Amino acid sequence: MIKRKKAYEKEAEFQYEIWSHELQKIYGKKDKAFEAVKKINLRIEPGIHGFLGPNGAGKTTTMNMLVGALAISSGEAKIRNEKAGTVEARRLIGFLPQDPVFYDKMTGEEYLIYMGKLGGLNKMEARKRAQELCVYFDIFNDRTRPIGEYSGGMKQKIGIAAALIHKPKLLILDEPTANLDPIGRANIIDKIKEISKTVSVFVSSHILSEIEQMCDRVTMINKGAIVISDTLKNIKQQYIGNTYELDTNKNEQILKSLERKDYIQNTWLKEEDGTIQIIPKDADKLKQEMPKVILENNAILYSFHIPEISLQDIFMEVYVEKGDKK
Amino acid sequence: MSIAKLKTVFSRKDTEGVEKETHRNTLILVKKTFQELASLKKFLVSLIIMLIPLIVTIAFPSTIEYESISPQHAAAAISIAIVFILFFWTLGISFICIIGTSGASLISEEVHSGTMLILVSKPIMRVKIFIGKYIGLFLYGATLSFVAIFSIGWIAVLRYSANIIHFFGIIPFLFVTYLYSLVLLLIFCSITLALSSIVNRPRNAGLIVIFLVIFSFLGMMILKMFLADSYETYYLYIIDLGYHLGNIYVGFLDFFNAIPPVAEWQTWFAQFTGVYDIASPTDPDQGINPGGMKRTDYVYPWVSLLVWIGIAVFLLIYGLISLKKREISV
Repeated sequence: MIKRKKAYEKEAEFQYEIWSHELQKIYGKKDKAFEAVKKINLRIEPGIHGFLGPNGAGKTTTMNMLVGALAISSGEAKIRNEKAGTVEARRLIGFLPQDPVFYDKMTGEEYLIYMGKLGGLNKMEARKRAQELCVYFDIFNDRTRPIGEYSGGMKQKIGIAAALIHKPKLLILDEPTANLDPIGRANIIDKIKEISKTVSVFVSSHILSEIEQMCDRVTMINKGAIVISDTLKNIKQQYIGNTYELDTNKNEQILKSLERKDYIQNTWLKEEDGTIQIIPKDADKLKQEMPKVILENNAILYSFHIPEISLQDIFMEVYVEKGDKK
Repeated sequence: MSIAKLKTVFSRKDTEGVEKETHRNTLILVKKTFQELASLKKFLVSLIIMLIPLIVTIAFPSTIEYESISPQHAAAAISIAIVFILFFWTLGISFICIIGTSGASLISEEVHSGTMLILVSKPIMRVKIFIGKYIGLFLYGATLSFVAIFSIGWIAVLRYSANIIHFFGIIPFLFVTYLYSLVLLLIFCSITLALSSIVNRPRNAGLIVIFLVIFSFLGMMILKMFLADSYETYYLYIIDLGYHLGNIYVGFLDFFNAIPPVAEWQTWFAQFTGVYDIASPTDPDQGINPGGMKRTDYVYPWVSLLVWIGIAVFLLIYGLISLKKREISV
């Protein structure tokens, strides 16, 4: 009998870097069971994809399932159409765990060669790659020192280099900038951005500004469930809202005048800076009438625009919507 | 860096550079485990621990005049002088404790510290990680026991007769002892690694092995003294690891005819392991046991050997399955 493929199975055959269907992780049994990841459907396309969420949201658990360190409770996941956790899937990925631990007595070069050999490279190739990566990550002069003597930033570099040594197709990085100083953080972000030009990257973080700097696409997770997943542009578009900001030298007077207009739905003064916030009924009419309002009140216009929305604002808004923020 | 340059560094064709998983992956882990265990300092400390009691023992003067007896007799006398301490201390308490404490950390320490998380994300089966560590530990133990056994033989020859011919004479005995040490390794590498993949804390796995050794070599010996009747009546020898190991060693010595069957060394095995019957008949005129002491033969040596190899294989499989199913996270 020919087994007919379900629609979601067919979808997995498309070249998603990571694909999951109702991926679930439950720790414990019966009464003490805790659902850390709640049947999530991931669709990670080539490029650099951010995985955002507060601490304890389920990012690390999801990533550990994808690399085969944790068993999947139910559902399924694939890495470039290979079942997650299999040797074939692991051959395609390079993984940097959160707070990676190394063999401190090994030198950086020895560690990379060891990881390269485990990744399937022969000795010559592993040595060559190790040296190339040491050069790329600016640790060539320190490659013969024991890793135990490395700084936090150098350890992160060795970790990423070890993940890249066998030339994977996809890099999975779990909080790669955690515990780094601002300079080390900026350095790692630059490297990840550069690497993502040739290798797909799935990177988790709870630091929003970092994800915003690095990623084209973002998946937000909270309490084990995906709350949003799209391109950063689309997400911003979606959350950009319909609120205009107006700033003049006579904000209170103009506010009173705007309150009487039929094309205005709501308007108020922002507490922090005293600017006028306007939600229009008819945005075109608002833009058309605004010069007239300024002239009528004999005011000086400082600015009139839709304020730029940051990932931080969206993040907060998403969690407010989900009732997380108290 | 230009994208073209980056591509040469990071991207690859599907088949380029990376090979399918082969046995070479296991060999890499074997080598790493062996190198990790066999640091010069650790190796020398282990060797000294294994040798010290024997050096102390052979420091006592011998009544035999080695120059006046044949090389065969001299080699036999040297073998008799060292056989029990080799069994009880060198390959017994100290060797098993060294293997136990070295092997206990091999998996549990990697899981506990977090290095295992990186290891399991690499394209290598967990079974191969386990086998690689098992073989690495086995090779370390095999090297250590080889050096220890042959050093003891050499030291004993130097102490007693200082005649190199006598050393050649005891080589068959040393080889049989080495063969026994390999069986011992097979059993205790399995026990240790199974514990290492089941128990969370590395220290606990080591402590369990040490407890097992102390219970087998000292605990059961004391029990035998106080409960001599119950030992046979309640078949306590079945759970007496010391008895089984003694039985296997003596079985090897008998099978290969590596040492003369005389009461001089058999008495020690009778008292400590119960392999020989202490109440063996003695020739009243000569005060010796002609043809050696009578074996208790609670179980045949090959039964002890097969049962413990069976237990070793079972534990090996159990350890493998435990590691395969183990959830690895920091």
